[in-house]
Amino acid sequence: MIIYKAKYFLRETANNLWQYKTRHFFSLTIICLSFLIVGLFLAISNNLRDRADDLSKNLVIVFYLQKSLPAAEQDLIEQQVRHSPLVADVRVISPAEASEKLLQDFPGLKDILMNLQTNPFPASIEATLKDPRTPYDQTLRFITEMKKNAGVEDVQFNRDWADKIQSLSRLAQAVGFFLGGILILASFIIISNVIKLNVFARKSEIEILRLVGGTNTFIRIPFLLEGISLGMAGSLLSLFLLLIITKIFPVYLGTSLGALQELISFRYLSFSQVISMVAGGGFVGFLGSLSSLSRFLRI
Amino acid sequence: MIELYHVWKQYQKPGWALSDVTITVKKGEFCFITGPSGSGKSTLLKTMYREVVPTEGQIIIGGKNILKIPDHKIYLLRRNMGIVYQDFRLLFHRRVFDNVAVALQVIGAPMKDMKRKVFIALRMVNLHHRIWDYPSHLSYGEQQRLAIARAVVNNPRILLADEPTGNLDPKLAVEIIGLFKEINKQGTTVIICTHDKELIRQFGDRILFLHEGKLLRKDAA
Repeated sequence: MIIYKAKYFLRETANNLWQYKTRHFFSLTIICLSFLIVGLFLAISNNLRDRADDLSKNLVIVFYLQKSLPAAEQDLIEQQVRHSPLVADVRVISPAEASEKLLQDFPGLKDILMNLQTNPFPASIEATLKDPRTPYDQTLRFITEMKKNAGVEDVQFNRDWADKIQSLSRLAQAVGFFLGGILILASFIIISNVIKLNVFARKSEIEILRLVGGTNTFIRIPFLLEGISLGMAGSLLSLFLLLIITKIFPVYLGTSLGALQELISFRYLSFSQVISMVAGGGFVGFLGSLSSLSRFLRI
Repeated sequence: MIELYHVWKQYQKPGWALSDVTITVKKGEFCFITGPSGSGKSTLLKTMYREVVPTEGQIIIGGKNILKIPDHKIYLLRRNMGIVYQDFRLLFHRRVFDNVAVALQVIGAPMKDMKRKVFIALRMVNLHHRIWDYPSHLSYGEQQRLAIARAVVNNPRILLADEPTGNLDPKLAVEIIGLFKEINKQGTTVIICTHDKELIRQFGDRILFLHEGKLLRKDAA
């Protein structure tokens, strides 16, 4: 009996969705756009978080040395860094290597570098930390100790960057949830109104179902399924559009962004995020229908 | 058996739609409720399937006080009844088959069973050849026969009809009441509201006459 009823509900839902296709199309568009906004910000946030994670996994302290520092003193600093218990690996980068690396990363700057008569880069020592989870204050103590050395002009620790990018990722997520939240609320109201219109349009049918012994649940289920279908279809459509955007964005816009491409690009949602989006769509649809039915379908 | 005891109904003050109506309709009886417009015929019928709740009184159907049934269980009462209206109340965007099948869908009948029962009901009202047509393609008489098929497809114990011939010409009206008689012969209790004196004269076994909500006559025809 359950199977026959389930078949009936699905057939009714499909019929009803088709019967009022114009109004369903418009509501679907709004739902899709709402979820697309959330999806876009989530994708940006995912990308930023991944970048921050990459940086955190490979924590490097760069000690910039004074120009024209005697080789003996440079060796001394290198030895000092190498002997620290926090450090796993040390790499000395000469001014020529630094210049070459910059040219590799930013080929557009070649002319500027050529116009400079001298190499502007100092020699540096890159120290990779043994454990990325090393307490921050312990690393900071090591850096302060090294800074006391007269040959060390400046120190750069990429954990600062990792933290900043992590905050940016959280910000992007928050903005996405805020904007998306408002739009999803709009979707909820739209679904609720669409179901209200459908209830009114099928008033005589509902009346007949009541008189032939239809239960409240039996009459309400197709309306609830309609709302859930609209919500889920909207979010699925938004995920599909997001997939297209994430594929097309690097091709058409990515190159023009240059070095920023890495940061301002989209990483498609994780499996759990995809499931959450679809379930969220269904839930919004369900709540929209339910609120409408409880107000306009009193049986 | 349908028993109504001292049923009163007031929609708005002053005046009563039903005043102290007490009747008993035995199992398998064929009965007319008649009276002028506004006499309370439809209200009386509606109290029997609890579309209208009386202000006072008790209604016992099949030994059960239907006024004590909780709202969410009313469907159980209605599944044992067939109801026919003057305005047919058909689903005009669905085919003849679906219009009859709807009464079986609510109880979750299997498709095979449904097809068989719908066909039997349609054959009884002589509409089986129009099974895939839309109701809008049927004549008024056929539409009412379709409504009757929907009402009887579940083999209800009670059939209630509210002015079922109101929109039909006298010849068709006789044909429809003849159909109700046939259904009644199979053991279904039939109660028909009508103000058509000719029909009552021709078919009336028992007549309940209402006037201004009061039952004036409840004897045999």
